[in-house]
Amino acid sequence: MEKILFDDLSFVFDKQLILRHVNATFKAGEIHLLTGISGSGKSTLLKLIAGLLPKYGGEITTGTVSVSTAGQIGMLFQDPAMQFALDTPRHELEFTLENCQVPTAKINSRVISALRFGKVEALANQSISTLSGGQQQRVALSVVMAMRPSILLLDEPFANVDEENRQLLLAQLLKINHDYRTTIIITDHDFHGYQRLNPFVWQLRDGKLIKLLNNQKHGLLQDDRQYIKASLPPVKASPIISAANLSIKRGNKTLLTPATFSLIKNKTTLLTGPNGIGKSTLLKAIAKLVKYQGTITFDSQNIQKISPGKYYQRLGLIFQHANDQFLNVTVGEELNLSLKNGQNSYFTSQQVQRSLSELGLAGREEQVIYSLSGGQKKKLQILLMLMMGQEVLLFDEPFTGLDKESLKKVLNLITASREKYPQTLLIVSHQLNGLDGFIDYHLEFNHQQLKYCGGNS
Amino acid sequence: MAKHQLHLRDIILLALIGIIFGIIYFAAGFIYNGLTILLTPIGYGPMANDLTMGIWCMAGPLAGFLLRMPGAAFLGEFFGAVVEMLLGDQWGAVNLISGAVQGIGAELGFTFTLYKIYNWLTLLISSLTLTIVTFGWDWFRNGYSHFSGQMLIIMLIARFISIFVFSGIIVRLIVNMLQRAHLIKR
Amino acid sequence: MNPSLKLFTVLFISLELTFTSKLWANIIIIIGCLILLIHAGFRWQQFCWLVLVPLFPAIAIFITIVLFSPSHSLFYGLVLFSRLYMYVSLGTVFTFTTNPLALARSLEQNCHLPSKYAYGVLAALNLMTKMKQAVITIRAAGQMRGVVLHWWSPTLYFKAILVALQWSDQLAQAMESHGFVEGQARTSTINIPLTVYDWLITITLIVVIQIIIIALP
Ligand SMILES: Nc1ncnc2c1ncn2[C@@H]1O[C@H](COP(=O)(O)OP(=O)(O)OP(=O)(O)O)[C@@H](O)[C@H]1O
Ligand SMILES: Nc1ncnc2c1ncn2[C@@H]1O[C@H](COP(=O)(O)OP(=O)(O)OP(=O)(O)O)[C@@H](O)[C@H]1O
Ligand SMILES: [Mg+2]
Ligand SMILES: [Mg+2]
Repeated sequence: MEKILFDDLSFVFDKQLILRHVNATFKAGEIHLLTGISGSGKSTLLKLIAGLLPKYGGEITTGTVSVSTAGQIGMLFQDPAMQFALDTPRHELEFTLENCQVPTAKINSRVISALRFGKVEALANQSISTLSGGQQQRVALSVVMAMRPSILLLDEPFANVDEENRQLLLAQLLKINHDYRTTIIITDHDFHGYQRLNPFVWQLRDGKLIKLLNNQKHGLLQDDRQYIKASLPPVKASPIISAANLSIKRGNKTLLTPATFSLIKNKTTLLTGPNGIGKSTLLKAIAKLVKYQGTITFDSQNIQKISPGKYYQRLGLIFQHANDQFLNVTVGEELNLSLKNGQNSYFTSQQVQRSLSELGLAGREEQVIYSLSGGQKKKLQILLMLMMGQEVLLFDEPFTGLDKESLKKVLNLITASREKYPQTLLIVSHQLNGLDGFIDYHLEFNHQQLKYCGGNS
Repeated sequence: MAKHQLHLRDIILLALIGIIFGIIYFAAGFIYNGLTILLTPIGYGPMANDLTMGIWCMAGPLAGFLLRMPGAAFLGEFFGAVVEMLLGDQWGAVNLISGAVQGIGAELGFTFTLYKIYNWLTLLISSLTLTIVTFGWDWFRNGYSHFSGQMLIIMLIARFISIFVFSGIIVRLIVNMLQRAHLIKR
Repeated sequence: MNPSLKLFTVLFISLELTFTSKLWANIIIIIGCLILLIHAGFRWQQFCWLVLVPLFPAIAIFITIVLFSPSHSLFYGLVLFSRLYMYVSLGTVFTFTTNPLALARSLEQNCHLPSKYAYGVLAALNLMTKMKQAVITIRAAGQMRGVVLHWWSPTLYFKAILVALQWSDQLAQAMESHGFVEGQARTSTINIPLTVYDWLITITLIVVIQIIIIALP
């Protein structure tokens, strides 16, 4: 019988025990949901099944993991950007199918059906590096599906995907599991929509893997989605950033047609919209990192007239890919840099230590940043930029990959810091859970236009 | 992983190093042109090539130090040329030959230390082999046989100094930084 | 024409003309290349670039040989001058008419280059745009943290190599998870043919060039 078997498995990274004596069986054809706070070892577990670990790092100290399958193992990584070898979705699909030794005559039809699976037909020939985060994630999903894997490992597949696509893809997963008896193992922090897959739910805690009982499971999978209550900004509110006749084009695609809007000083504005609509691009435009038409002013000054050095002392961007934010090697070096140059008076050395332990990052000063887990990186990134204390902070999906607890702590940290040191925040996020009460205003990006929603949206 | 042959990851790394240095090489092109303009009136125009040679050769020794196995230095330098070609660089295809020549020069330094010693001695020897091999190639390519003996000696010395500074000292500094960051094992 | 064979021909000709000092061969090849380029839809801006790239070294070598070398030979000056242009025009013809993916496929299928080399290099190449973006991002990220990175700052390069180490690791894992196994057979989406016609062109070209080399100075 085909199955995945962990037998007393322990795994270490740099003398740090990540998994301790894990025993578990994943049977063929089942759907499993793997949960656990960030840094608990979910990605590690998936990579062990995929055979990438210990080949690419770490060490098994006790026990074994055995995967008996005749078919392919497809794995989707947490970071959507770094999983493509070729330039366009079509070429990547062809490359993958060639690897799987699909006969030449069948490749084309399999490419087409895979593109349809992820709803990315229209992007087939677009350069992958120009795709939005959510689009990349959907392409990546199409690629692993093209392999017709018998085991499908998905590491936070929906972190950058909008609500509509999330529901669609979940339905697709259920279908392939039903049609091909594909074993599916998913990790996620946001459980809404999983109820109908009726998965086995596992929890990783302190290196142990525990299968949840039915009643525990139902509690966890309950749809407790919250809706954001925001109001319209008052007419007299004082803006810090204003855009007049702003339009943005990328390649041959118009993202924004002349729009006029402003961000209110010392308030938190949420920016939402479907995948690929141009949210990240808009943030980059405000940060002077992409070209645009029209004018953007900061504190009534045209941002094109402010030198980058000066501008970035007043405005900071929290990048969608956490790795982009880091300049040094270890966590400690990064913290020192922000302590040295930071303007935020809330973050004294003691407060930084407190925040670190609050975020579960204490004692990691010597760790190389790039070996942190996805969620740990996000938390560190946010902390570092808060410490810098620019007047305006733009956040590009800061909450992806954060478990509920971590999210709450991050939000508390931001709130506490702002009480002492007010800042204007603009936040792009697909995940709205837990944000209620944190948000003042809500900007919606759709149909190439931006508008504030108010009342009860 | 057995470290006797290059694996996929090593090949990608070598090619990426090629790209990074490809960009540096491109920038060095301006320095090269500037030097050429300065030196031509005194009859030493081609010496700009010798003076900047060290920059063109950095990828090889760096790759040798990073991966520490036979072939790494050669491929680091050669892949740089391959990448330049695939990017549509004008010198492109012909650069493959120069890339191979520089690669051999860099690789020999590691061969002579038997792929066991990784310190200043290695860099010194690899600078020497690089100087000799690349000079030999330019002898044919740039018609050095037509130059006077005195000029050739000056050019040879200039080339050695350039290679030692860039492909020796600077590479060593980069390697030191990477070692401190625990990014190079051993 | 088959990409691998084209590459071989370009390298062969360049190498041969490096070791023979013939003026006419250089000039005829340059003209031939220009005709091919016009045929392939080369734009005039690209022509300017083509002329500009080897200009300084070519003039420098020319002046040095003609004015400062013991022989003061105008002929050798011209040979070396035209040789650089010959290199560049051959190189341009190759890169302008060949797409990297086709070359990788051809090297894999026709020359039996291990696929880890063909696709490893290709994958790195496709990171080039990301690399450019990364440099812009790193500089902005630096300024947002109060650090100014100039193009000569070691940190910039250190970070670039760091990123390269990082990416090579992730990309290799990604390729493996897309079914790539070193040394395992693969099928092909497109068969890159290597026909008698390709060989015929190659042999004709090489023979014609031999004749030019022997017949003309
Ligand atoms: N290459 C590595 N070297 C050293 N430590 C590592 C490495 N990769 C991961 N770790 C550590 O192993 C632990 C588990 O990481 P992993 O990525 O599996 O967490 P995760 O559960 O997926 O978290 P997240 O939800 O944030 O993605 C983390 O503490 C991380 O810092
Ligand atoms: N050169 C190009 N040609 C065509 N379209 C392009 C080009 N560059 C970018 N785009 C498109 O511009 C859009 C940019 O999206 P952006 O990254 O800003 O989206 P987003 O709203 O942040 O989405 P996500 O929620 O997925 O992160 C995408 O739809 C992308 O496909
Ligand atoms: Mg993870
Ligand atoms: Mg985005």
